[in-house]
Amino acid sequence: MAGRAIWKGYIHFGGFDVSVKLHPAVKEERIQFHLLHRRDHIKLKQQMVCAYEKVPVPTEEQTRGLELEKGKYLLVDPAELEQVEPEESRIIEVHEFVKTEQIDPVFLDRVYYLEPGVPSKGYNALAGALRDMDVAGICTWTMRKRSYLGALQMSGKILRLNTLRYADEVISVKSLELQEIPLAEKELKIGSDLINQLTAPFQPQKFENEHQKKLQQLIDKKARGEKIAILRPRRLKPTTSDKLLQTLEASLKKVA
Amino acid sequence: MKNRRSARLPAKLSPTRRDESAAQGIWSGTISFSLVAIPVQLVKAVEPGRVPFRMLHSRDYSPLLRRMVCPKEGKIVPPDEIIRGYEIGPDKYILITDEELEAVSPERSRTIEIVEFIDMADVDSIYYDHPYYLVPAKGGEKAYRLLVEVMRRTKKAGLAKFVLGEREYLVAVKSSEGALALITLHYREEILSDEEIVPEEGTIDAEEKSRLKKIIEGMTADFNPDKYADERRNKMTKLLRKIAKKRAPVEAPEVEEAEGEGPVDLIAALEESMRKVKKNR
Repeated sequence: MAGRAIWKGYIHFGGFDVSVKLHPAVKEERIQFHLLHRRDHIKLKQQMVCAYEKVPVPTEEQTRGLELEKGKYLLVDPAELEQVEPEESRIIEVHEFVKTEQIDPVFLDRVYYLEPGVPSKGYNALAGALRDMDVAGICTWTMRKRSYLGALQMSGKILRLNTLRYADEVISVKSLELQEIPLAEKELKIGSDLINQLTAPFQPQKFENEHQKKLQQLIDKKARGEKIAILRPRRLKPTTSDKLLQTLEASLKKVA
Repeated sequence: MKNRRSARLPAKLSPTRRDESAAQGIWSGTISFSLVAIPVQLVKAVEPGRVPFRMLHSRDYSPLLRRMVCPKEGKIVPPDEIIRGYEIGPDKYILITDEELEAVSPERSRTIEIVEFIDMADVDSIYYDHPYYLVPAKGGEKAYRLLVEVMRRTKKAGLAKFVLGEREYLVAVKSSEGALALITLHYREEILSDEEIVPEEGTIDAEEKSRLKKIIEGMTADFNPDKYADERRNKMTKLLRKIAKKRAPVEAPEVEEAEGEGPVDLIAALEESMRKVKKNR
């Protein structure tokens, strides 16, 4: 079941408006642990502590600062920053449309389902147009005092809004300073053949979070007072560059 | 470089660290496909572009650190006195050590094993969770380059599962501008159904649709993320620059280096780094 609507607004572009409601599209459920004091198993709390006095600091003694140089802070009152808070608005303004495939996954952040705000023909027409053209609308809006950049997309029977990261939030591949290493055409050919052999359709239902179940089993075992066998993590021997071709050939033989 | 203007500012006032080396690894291990094993490190691919404010103590302007504190004694608890517990009742816990946690899926805690390759275009973007890069560790450079190149040629991505801290991640590894990008994916059961909110199956007004298509066509361009700046962040930076001119900074007392932002423990630190990037979304 989709999550409850968290916000209402209007998609707007070129004289066109359609009202929509945002619903979360993803929900994660995880086993929760607490951190305890080893001695007496008292549940610990995460708190802000003073680096100098080493004592917990109550909220009313906390203030915001910006480090200008080492150890020197510019004090900033939250009230001073209010003037740069975005204005409240209900408009999801579409600035342009792009081919969906052009949006690299690295930019995609959160995804919301868009329910029609009121039954409207506009919603279905927009959904149909986006589907036919395979485009996404690049849009901006303000929600809960924050401004967002997003991609408006059609999927299945419903419109979705995917928040996008800003370009300067993405770390460039260049900064990784990767080495260029020449490869032999034979290595590339066998490598490609191998990948093609190992290719299957994407079936997400095939993958379960087995670990979560095993973790629960571990907890149950310990609750019954059973001993836990400690297994060392598996570590593989790296394929060195002189063994690469040989290893690829052996791999291909195995799968072919 | 786009941010030339801010070069005169203290480095930290410029909120993004795009050019800073991303080499701080979150995890190290091996990525494998078939018999090929490549030692790698997992590094960040995105950095939330927030203005890096620090919380300070208003009495002495010392920076504040996030620490685990015992509520009974009101004291900081050092990492070696902390243990993970699973709550089974009020104040009743099952204790789990790091070693026990790592033993849950030992075959996956240090290895990202690609079990099959897929066409990335088949993956509905709703599954994408968080992006990272993999960088080769010593000795893995050539095999790394090979995997990047053959995935680029075949336009395929590798599917794998691996365990980090308390969680097991389903991931897609793809070739991205000469690097391996790793994207954590949601599990099927984490995707909420849209059944109850899909619009009623009405006839589409053909006239309205073709009118919209014309408008859309006129507004179609190439995706260029550089065009869109975080206006609010830019305004904030400008405002802070103004404030910095008027107001003298305060000075924090000196603290020994050892008391920096040290991790509570390794697993917690890993978890924390994953969680942090998630929280900032």
